Amino acid sequence: MKKIIIAFLLWINSVSVFAQDNGIEMADTLRSNGKIYVVVVCIVIILAGLLGYLFSLDRRLKKLEKK
Amino acid sequence: MQFANEVKYLLYKEILLEWRSKYAINGMLLYVVSTIFVCFISFVTMENKITWNALFWIIMLFAAINGVSKSFLQESKGRQLYSYIIASPAAIILAKTIYNILMMVILTTIALGVYIIVFSYSPSDFLLFYIAVILGSLSFSTIFTMVSAIATKAGNGGMLMAVLSFPLIIPVLIVLIKLSKNAIDGLDRSVSLDEIGILLLINVMTVTASLILFPYLWKD
Amino acid sequence: MYKSWWKIMGSVLVIYTTIGGLLLGVPRLAILNETIRNLYFHVPMWFGMLTLFSISVWYSIKYLLSTNQTDDLKAVESVNVGIVFSLLGLVTGSIWAKFTWGQYWSFDVKQNFTAIAILLYFAYLVLRNSIDEEQKRAKISAIYNIFAFPMMVVLIMVLPRLQDSLHPGNGGNPGFNSYDLDSRMRAVLYPAFLGWSIIGYWIYTIRFRIRSLEIKDNS
Repeated sequence: MKKIIIAFLLWINSVSVFAQDNGIEMADTLRSNGKIYVVVVCIVIILAGLLGYLFSLDRRLKKLEKK
Repeated sequence: MQFANEVKYLLYKEILLEWRSKYAINGMLLYVVSTIFVCFISFVTMENKITWNALFWIIMLFAAINGVSKSFLQESKGRQLYSYIIASPAAIILAKTIYNILMMVILTTIALGVYIIVFSYSPSDFLLFYIAVILGSLSFSTIFTMVSAIATKAGNGGMLMAVLSFPLIIPVLIVLIKLSKNAIDGLDRSVSLDEIGILLLINVMTVTASLILFPYLWKD
Repeated sequence: MYKSWWKIMGSVLVIYTTIGGLLLGVPRLAILNETIRNLYFHVPMWFGMLTLFSISVWYSIKYLLSTNQTDDLKAVESVNVGIVFSLLGLVTGSIWAKFTWGQYWSFDVKQNFTAIAILLYFAYLVLRNSIDEEQKRAKISAIYNIFAFPMMVVLIMVLPRLQDSLHPGNGGNPGFNSYDLDSRMRAVLYPAFLGWSIIGYWIYTIRFRIRSLEIKDNS
């Protein structure tokens, strides 16, 4: 078990080293294409928030209907 | 005219009661002075004037919360009933507010003196700083008097007082700190007119709102 | 309240602003790039919040005059929905801030002040929870609501204009009006304000109806 964990840690380590090799190009996917994906994320958050809220309201209504 | 007489009588009664025991004002003074000493012992000297400013307002804020919240929280049921019979609710809140303003002005003036002596530093535009202090005690009193009335009626004293009053007082505190910072930096006074205007506006707003709302709160 | 033409209008407006906001032309600006389109989604959240809080104050005033329990219910429910809108506005704002100003929380005055304004309404809900007696709770919380509302307006409408801010239109920064092509953006932004406010109002009526059913059920 220990060996596996150590191997895993080493592997993670090597991955991060590779990532550093790539350098310059950073984890920037949200910044590409004129940052349009930031807008997408915001719209998704608003929709997810409101839809989640609707679901919770729906649950309350169901409880009422059951009575 | 009747209204003015009621206010005058209630105010006189408040001051007389305080004068007999001197409990509230002495307690607050002791609190403020000992806090300033604790701060002095822990800081010794204060190079940074922003810290000097912020610390002063924080001490004043807690002194005001403790002092002003007493105005309704520590009043006995009998006394409340008594003032209910003799005066209109608007007169009661006005008298309380004026009394608190007087008390806070005296307290902050003494506290400012002690603070300046202990840290041996005085802001470069002292008059403007003093105006900020007066405006500060004015706004603390008007806001906290009404909030303490609300908290008392809700019947859950000190805890609720803090929760309800902090979000209300933070905007005032931000403007006050900015104004007093202008005084410390010795900026031209015309720069600070905006802040003074806003503070006066907030006070007029709160007093009007208290005068209108308190009668609804008072009758059961 | 039960008629549905305004619900359709609100939905159409929101759909129009989503499509228009993504496809219509916007000014080309450095740093902001395409995120300027967030204006159509982030700012209407605040507008919806303000609408709902105003409705709440309106019903609080009505409650004090009438002492009718349904007015109190309306006031609470609109605060509840308004808080959801304000949280959405805060989250979208901080994501936008991350990719334009560099941090999720940039200690911008408007961010800080709206956080305080939200605290104000949490305090309102705490106050409600601390009182058991129904009439008393309605009365005291209505008074606090009316007392706090002008302070919130000062907090998020007046104070930020005095200080430097990263938001446009505050301190030294130019307002969006000074960017050219503003009329093109207005054609989407104002309908978005209206549309999202209507959606907020709609959710509030649903909440109110559920709540009054629950109360009828319990009694």
